[in-house]
Amino acid sequence: MFKFFSAFRKEWIVLVRDVPGIILLFLMPMVMLVILSLVQEFGWNAVAKEPKIHVLFVNEDTGNLPALIEKGLDDSRMFVVLKKLNADSLTRETAREKVRTGEYQIGVIIPKGASKKIERKVQMMITQIMSGIMMPVGNPFFGMENKDSVNIIIYFDPAIKGTFKAAFLSSMKEYSLKIESNMIFQTFNDELKKLFPQYLSSFKEFRETVYFTEEYPSGEKEPVIATSTQHNVPSWAIFAMFFIVIPLSSSMIKEREEGSVIRLYTLPVSYFTVFMSKVGVYLIVCFVQFIFMVLAGIYLLPLFSLPALSLSNHYFSLTIMALASSMAALGYGIMIGTLANTHQQASAFGSVSIVILAAIGGLWVPIYFFPHAMVKVAALSPLNWAHEGFLTIFLRDGEVADILPQVFKLLVFFIVTTTVAAIYRKTNPHIGS
Amino acid sequence: MPDRPIIEIRELTKRYKGADEPAINSISLDINKNEIFGLLGPNGAGKTTTISILCGLFPPTKGSVTINGLDIHADIRKIKQIIGVVPQDIALYPTLTARENLTFFGNMYGLRGKVLKNKIDDYLTEFGLERHAGKMVARFSGGMKRRVNLIAGLLHDPKVIFLDEPTVGIDVQSRLEILNYLKLINKKGTTIIYTSHYMEEAENLCSRVAIIDRGSIISLGNPKELVAEHPEFKNLENIFIHLTGKELRD
Ligand SMILES: Nc1ncnc2c1ncn2[C@@H]1O[C@H](COP(=O)(O)OP(=O)(O)OP(=O)(O)O)[C@@H](O)[C@H]1O
Ligand SMILES: [Mg+2]
Repeated sequence: MFKFFSAFRKEWIVLVRDVPGIILLFLMPMVMLVILSLVQEFGWNAVAKEPKIHVLFVNEDTGNLPALIEKGLDDSRMFVVLKKLNADSLTRETAREKVRTGEYQIGVIIPKGASKKIERKVQMMITQIMSGIMMPVGNPFFGMENKDSVNIIIYFDPAIKGTFKAAFLSSMKEYSLKIESNMIFQTFNDELKKLFPQYLSSFKEFRETVYFTEEYPSGEKEPVIATSTQHNVPSWAIFAMFFIVIPLSSSMIKEREEGSVIRLYTLPVSYFTVFMSKVGVYLIVCFVQFIFMVLAGIYLLPLFSLPALSLSNHYFSLTIMALASSMAALGYGIMIGTLANTHQQASAFGSVSIVILAAIGGLWVPIYFFPHAMVKVAALSPLNWAHEGFLTIFLRDGEVADILPQVFKLLVFFIVTTTVAAIYRKTNPHIGS
Repeated sequence: MPDRPIIEIRELTKRYKGADEPAINSISLDINKNEIFGLLGPNGAGKTTTISILCGLFPPTKGSVTINGLDIHADIRKIKQIIGVVPQDIALYPTLTARENLTFFGNMYGLRGKVLKNKIDDYLTEFGLERHAGKMVARFSGGMKRRVNLIAGLLHDPKVIFLDEPTVGIDVQSRLEILNYLKLINKKGTTIIYTSHYMEEAENLCSRVAIIDRGSIISLGNPKELVAEHPEFKNLENIFIHLTGKELRD
């Protein structure tokens, strides 16, 4: 233990004396975080932050469907619903004109009778279902085709991005589906009420617990909003932690080049002790790196009018996740430091491979934009495991149990990489460390 | 009956990966307690390779070695505790000061605290470095680095010390200081194995020398006796040239 601490101390001094290296190690990722967050913020705003996109909303209907759709758009926090322009009620024509000229990006028109149609459709479906159960013959709606679909018209500014258009359409589809199933339930319930008063209570419970919790997943709580910061801080923190590979491998190569490793091997101390002291020092660096990035997310980004990072009390799972990611990064650094012959090899291969692993791991472009085949590839990147773990904590409110699969994979990666390094060292003994 | 030799080398062979010829080829040699033994030979003869194996840096391809009765393979940890090593290339951390380097290496031999500090102070004074103890080794002159490199191998009072060209690239004063110090610790009971390209130095210092070339021992004995056996060559250097030829080596 005494030798370990002495080796640790030596390693620490060597590291902190490398002032330019330290500055580069800590400052670079922070600068990248701020700059790239600023760059992304503009694009991200358009899809995920405060209400920014104005939707012209024309209601020609008298039923309750328009109000439901309006509420859905409002709740999404992406859109501001405009029903009037300069105190004038909107018409189909003005909306179309405004969107055509690009003054507004989206127009939604709920045509007359839409609510009626949807209600009829629902009624029809219920009748079909009920008749299937109760009345095998003699229903007037039975066997009737459902061609009577509801036609909501949506105008898009032609300049709007395709992905954004797709996102809007899919969320509209989602609202109407929700509304529809809501209505189905309502009607179904009403029908059942008439038939079986004794089952009513249990169905009501089912409806309220299951259905409504699905619609409002976080209940009273403000849902965590995926700001650019929530995405960027974990990405860049992982990236920064994995860049420990460069100083770590360079420290190993330096020991070989400077020859100190020769003496190290003539000392009555095990390789394991010396090795663990190095791992210990760089683990601290990695962890501090992570803390700095989190602090930058909380305190530095708001200075640039970017949203602040929200940690929501998951300190323990964050610590576990940060340590596991650090171990994976260290293992990778040790492997490169052992296999590479020169600084150039190590830093070139180290940095390029980390950039690639980050890119295919979905650190910069979210996985859900990947083509299907790439998603499988992404799952091979240790940076992806780390990222998944952090997103589970930052966005999905994950607990320790939720991140265990990622923690496990990262630790296995550490063991595999250090084993590769150890085997290579054994088979090439005179290369030193 | 004489003591068992402190170092026994038997048919030691080392072939580096990918090399056509072995770097050392079936060397057998006994070195007695309290000798100053010189390993001489042209560049690439296999001196560093031999010393590296004796220090446990890497295993031989074939052959066996015992040091102080301990097997190099089985008891390497115990051997490392009783040997001192001064590598041919400076083996220090350039961004650490002389004192920090020596403290770290001393710690690795299990030395610590006041005992270690006093030892380091004594050695630094002995080798004229006391004023530079707190300076980074990177800022040292070549000769100063060599002296720290030497101290690092002496700190734990080893029974056997291996020095690979300890006097290369240093001025006459430092060299005399180093050689005198080696004689002193040898008198106190330390066995010294050392390599050099300076024949005159070896002739004066060593109780015995082995001249190796292309991985094999081609001559072995007391330097004065070797010169006496070949009066026509007058000194060790001429014998060396005679034995190894004038051709340049890798
Ligand atoms: N790591 C290595 N890999 C492959 N070959 C090596 C290695 N180290 C040394 N050699 C070769 O082994 C032979 C002996 O080298 P060694 O360093 O032992 O010579 P030396 O006697 O110490 O020479 P010098 O006087 O130049 O220090 C040389 O041919 C050298 O090229
Ligand atoms: Mg040599």
